[in-house]
Amino acid sequence: MINITINGRLVQAEEGEYLLAVLKRAGFGVPALCHHEAVEPYGGCRLCMVEITKPQWKGWKDLVVSCLYPVSADLEVQTDSEAVIEERKTVLHLLLARNPHTKEIKDLAAEYGIVRSKYQEVAEPDDCILCSICTRICDAMGFSAISLVNRGHGREVAPPLNEPPPDCTGCLACALNCPTNYIKYTDTGVTREIWGKTFEMLRDPQTGKPTITREFAEYLSQHREIPAEYFGEGDESHRKRTARSFGKIAAWSRVDAGPKEVES
Amino acid sequence: MMARTTKTQKKKTGAAAKPKTEFTGKITSRAQLDLMRTQCRAENARFPKQVMICCGTGCLANGAAKLVEAFHDVLKQRKIKDFEVKAIKETGCHGFCEQGPLVVIEPKGTFYTKVKPKDIPDIIAKSIESDDVIEKHLYVDPKDEKKIECYGNVSFFKHQERIALRNLGKIAAHSIGDYIAVGGYQGLAKAILKMTPEQVIDEVDKANLRGRGGGGFPAGRKWRQCASVDADERFVICNGDEGDPGAFMDRSIMEGDPHTVLEGMMIAAYAVGARRGFIYVREEYPLAVLHLQKAIDDCREYGLLGEKILGTDFCFDIKIARGAGAFVCGESSALMKSVAGQVGEPREKYIRSVIKGLWDKPTVLNNVETYANVPVILDRGAAWFTSIGCENNSGTKAFSLVGKVRNTGLIEVAMGTTLREIIYDIGRGILGDRPFKAVQTGGPSGGCLPESMLDLPVDFDSLTKAGSMMGSGGMIVMDDRTCMVDVARYFLQFLVSESCGKCVPCREGLYQLHQMTVAVCEGRAEEGDLEKIEQLSDVVVKASLCGLGKSGPNPILSTLRYFRDEWEAHIREKRCPAGVCRELITYTINEEKCTGCVACIAACAYNAITGEKKKPHFIHQDKCTQCGACVAVCRYDAIDVA
Amino acid sequence: MKMRFEVVPNLCIGCRTCELACSFTHAVDGKQGRSRIYPLDGGMKDLWVPVVCLQCDDPACVKSCLVDAIKLNPETGAYEIDHEICVKCMACVAACPFGCSLFDDHQNRVVKCDLCGGDPACAKFCPTQALVYKSALSHAG
Repeated sequence: MINITINGRLVQAEEGEYLLAVLKRAGFGVPALCHHEAVEPYGGCRLCMVEITKPQWKGWKDLVVSCLYPVSADLEVQTDSEAVIEERKTVLHLLLARNPHTKEIKDLAAEYGIVRSKYQEVAEPDDCILCSICTRICDAMGFSAISLVNRGHGREVAPPLNEPPPDCTGCLACALNCPTNYIKYTDTGVTREIWGKTFEMLRDPQTGKPTITREFAEYLSQHREIPAEYFGEGDESHRKRTARSFGKIAAWSRVDAGPKEVES
Repeated sequence: MMARTTKTQKKKTGAAAKPKTEFTGKITSRAQLDLMRTQCRAENARFPKQVMICCGTGCLANGAAKLVEAFHDVLKQRKIKDFEVKAIKETGCHGFCEQGPLVVIEPKGTFYTKVKPKDIPDIIAKSIESDDVIEKHLYVDPKDEKKIECYGNVSFFKHQERIALRNLGKIAAHSIGDYIAVGGYQGLAKAILKMTPEQVIDEVDKANLRGRGGGGFPAGRKWRQCASVDADERFVICNGDEGDPGAFMDRSIMEGDPHTVLEGMMIAAYAVGARRGFIYVREEYPLAVLHLQKAIDDCREYGLLGEKILGTDFCFDIKIARGAGAFVCGESSALMKSVAGQVGEPREKYIRSVIKGLWDKPTVLNNVETYANVPVILDRGAAWFTSIGCENNSGTKAFSLVGKVRNTGLIEVAMGTTLREIIYDIGRGILGDRPFKAVQTGGPSGGCLPESMLDLPVDFDSLTKAGSMMGSGGMIVMDDRTCMVDVARYFLQFLVSESCGKCVPCREGLYQLHQMTVAVCEGRAEEGDLEKIEQLSDVVVKASLCGLGKSGPNPILSTLRYFRDEWEAHIREKRCPAGVCRELITYTINEEKCTGCVACIAACAYNAITGEKKKPHFIHQDKCTQCGACVAVCRYDAIDVA
Repeated sequence: MKMRFEVVPNLCIGCRTCELACSFTHAVDGKQGRSRIYPLDGGMKDLWVPVVCLQCDDPACVKSCLVDAIKLNPETGAYEIDHEICVKCMACVAACPFGCSLFDDHQNRVVKCDLCGGDPACAKFCPTQALVYKSALSHAG
C-alpha cells in the first residue's frame, strides 16, 4: 500500500493501480464516458483527466487521464483544478458540437454550465460519441462482429462492409452498454433484429417468454461447454422444475409422505 | 537486373582463372569477413571506370531503368576494354532527384544530369572509352549558370556532410558485396566480437545519438532502459513508416543502403539482448520492401542473420512488417499494434514501450536514420561522432529540402548548420530570386519559421525552442507568394484526415480548428475567433492521447507566433496579403501594363475577361472565380492580385 | 471458516418472508431489488421449496459469462456478479439450470444470490429456520 493525496486528502492505494479506480473508491467523482469495467481502459474521451504532481517534481504539473495512469507513491492529485476544468469544458464543447441532441452529453455539459457548444455543430449529428465501448465489449466477448471503421472525424461503428455481421450472435451487449443508447434494436418477442441481422429468440415452452437468441445459445454450448438443454427453458420454468425435483427428495424424508398423493 | 548480373559473373569466374570473386558459404569469423571485403574490393578494382546510375525512386520514375538497359544493350553489341556489366552500379538515391536520371562516372566523379537512353552510346564512347566530358549533360548551377564537371563540386553536394546517407549513390543498392567492400558490418563485428552489450550501449550513449525520427530521445538511454528490464524476450523495431508528405529520407536509405539499417538493428539487438527484430515499412515503398528483403535474404545466406552470428552466441533475425500507410502508424505504440496485427491505434504511454512494447515485451524502437548512424558510430567511435554537429546534438541530420528553392532534394548536414546555409548554399536560394518568407520544418505537425530565424542553427533544441520541431526532417521553403494561414489550413487538413479518431481532442479538436481556419481563409471569421482558436489549440496540445494530436495545432501556433499580422489581416480587413485565399482576393488588369495580347481571354474558362486586341482587357468580377489562369499566362505582369 | 447455506424444505411454510427480506436488502438508490429467493410449490401439499442459488462447484453462470463478471468471493463462498463488469447479455440467466440468475427489470441489471456478503437476510428473517447459514464444519460434524 502507498499513500497518495487527492484534493489534499490522504488516500491509500496499491502501487500501479489505475488512478480512476482509486478516485472512485475514495468517492471522488470524475466524468468518464469511454470507461467500462468489462474492458481495458481506453483513454479516448479524455474527460477523466486530472492534474498530478509530486513533491520532487519541483512544481511541474501534468494532465493525465486517470483511467490509464498507474499510481505511485507521493502522487498529488487535483480533480478539479483550473486546468482540469478548462480541459474538461473544452472537451464537452467539442462533444456537444458533435452530439448536440444527445441527452447524456447535454446533461453532462449542463453540469459544467454549458448549454450550447461554442464550436460549429456538425451537419448531421447522431448520438454516437465513438467511445468504442460497444466494439471493445464485442471483442472481449470473442465475437468481434462490429468495429470502428474509417479514421478521424469520419469514424463510425459498423459491421464489416456494412452488411449484417456474420459473427454477431445478437447478444445485445453492444446496445445495452451504449452510454448514449445510440445502437438500436428491435425485439418482437419472437425475433430480434440488430445490425440488420434477424435472430430467432429461444422461448420458454410454458410461458412463451423469450430468453436469448438461438445463435447465442449455440455459441455458449459450443465454446463454454454448457449443455444445450439448459437453454430449453426460461429462468422461471427452471425454478419451478428445481422446486419439483427438490420437493421429491424432501418428500422421501417426510414422515407423513406415504398415504398422501403427490399433487400434480 | 540481379539475375543478369549473376549470370555474367558466373560465366566470368568459370572462364578466367582469376581468384574467386565472391566469398561463398557463411561468414563465421572476423577473418572471413575481412577476406570477403578484400575480395569484393579487388573485384571492384578490376574496372578503371565505373558507372553509377541512380536507381532511387525519383530517378527510376524519370527512366533510370531504361538507362541501365541502354548500357547493357551497348555491351551486348560490342566489347569495351576494361568495362563490363559489373562496372555498372545501380545505386540508391543521390538525393538530387529533380536533375534525374543521374549518371556518375567514377573515379573522376563526372556528373551527368537528365540523361536519356539515346545519350548512352555517346557517353560510353566519350567518357568511358576516352576521357572526355560531354558538356551538354553537365549540371548548370542555377545561380551563376556555370557548368560543373565534378559531382563533389556541385553546390548541392558540396555543403553536405553525409553519415546516414554515406553509401547512397556510392554502392549498388542491393549488393551485400558492395556494402562489405565499403566497410560494412565492421561495426557489427567490432561490437559483438570485442565489446560487451554494456560497452556497446556506453558507446552509443557517449556518442549522444538522438532519435532521428523527430523526438530526439537519446538512443543509448532508450537501449539501456530496455536492457535493464527483466524479461524473457525483447524486440528491436525499425520505424520505416515515413508518413510526412514530401519526406523521403528513410525511404532512400532503405532503398539505397538497406544493409546499414540491418547492421544498425543487429547492433541494437546485441546491446539489448533481442533475438527478433521487425522493420515496419509502408506498402507504398515497394522498392524499399524489395531491397530490404533481398538484404535480409543475403544476410541469412552469409550467416549475418540467424544463429551464432560471426561464430558468437549472438542469434538474431529480422522480419519485414508492412504497413498500410496510415500516418498515425508512425507513432510508436500504434506501430507496435500494427506489427502485432491489430488496428494501428496509439495507446497511452504512461508505461513506456521500452518496458512494455510489442506483445507487452520490452521493445526498442528507432527510426531508419537512427539505425543508419549506429554502424558508423561503432566503427569510428563516439568521439569521432561527437566531433560532428553541435553541443548536445552530435552528428548530422538528413532533410528533404523542397519548395521554392533552386536545388531541391535529399540532403544531410551537420547539426547546427543554419537554415540560411541550407537554403542559400545547398538550395542556392529562392526560385526566381523572390523574397524568402518562411521555412516549414518537421512535417505536417511542425512549424513555420520566418526570415528572422534564418540564422537559427538546425538542431533538436533550437528548432523546438523556436516553436517548430525537427520531426523526421521535412523542410519546405516558401516565398512571398505563400499565405501562412493557407499553409496552416493545408497541414491541418492533412492531420484531420490522418487523425485516427480515438481521442476526442484530436478527432474533434483538430476538426474544429480546421473549420475555423477555413473560415479565416474564406473571410468568415470574426473578431475573437483567433483567441478561440488559440484556446482550443492549447487544450488539444495538452489533452490529446498521442503525438499526432499533441503536435497537431503546431501549424496554427507557429504561424500565429511569427505571422500573426497575416491572420489578423484575414479576419479584420478580410484581406489575404499574399494573394492566395480565393475568397479574399480580386484580380484586376493593370491598364498601363496590359498590351492587349488576348492570352488571358483565351485562358479564362469562365469568360470573365473581355477586350479587344491591342487594347487593355477587363475582368468582370461577377464571373471571375479567382482561379489564377490569367496570371499564369500573362507575360507582362499586367494582372494585379489584391 | 467455511460457511454453508442450507435449505430445509420440510420446515418451509411458504410465508415468503425471505422474499421480502431479500428484496429490501438488495435495494439500490431506494429501488427495491428483485428477490433472489423463491419459495415454490414442491409438488406436494404443503411442501414448499425455497429455490435459491446453490453456489455450485462448477457454475453454469460463471462458465457462460464471456466477460468474467461473476467471481467467487472466497470469504463467503458466494459467486457474485460485478455489476460494473456485467454487460447484461443474459447468458447466465439463460444458462443457469436452476433459474437462479435473474434479470431485475426495476434496477435494470442481472442479479443473483450473493449471500448478502456473509449474512444472508433470508436466513435471518426465516421464522421456521427452513433457511440456515452455518459453519460447514459443524454441519459435517
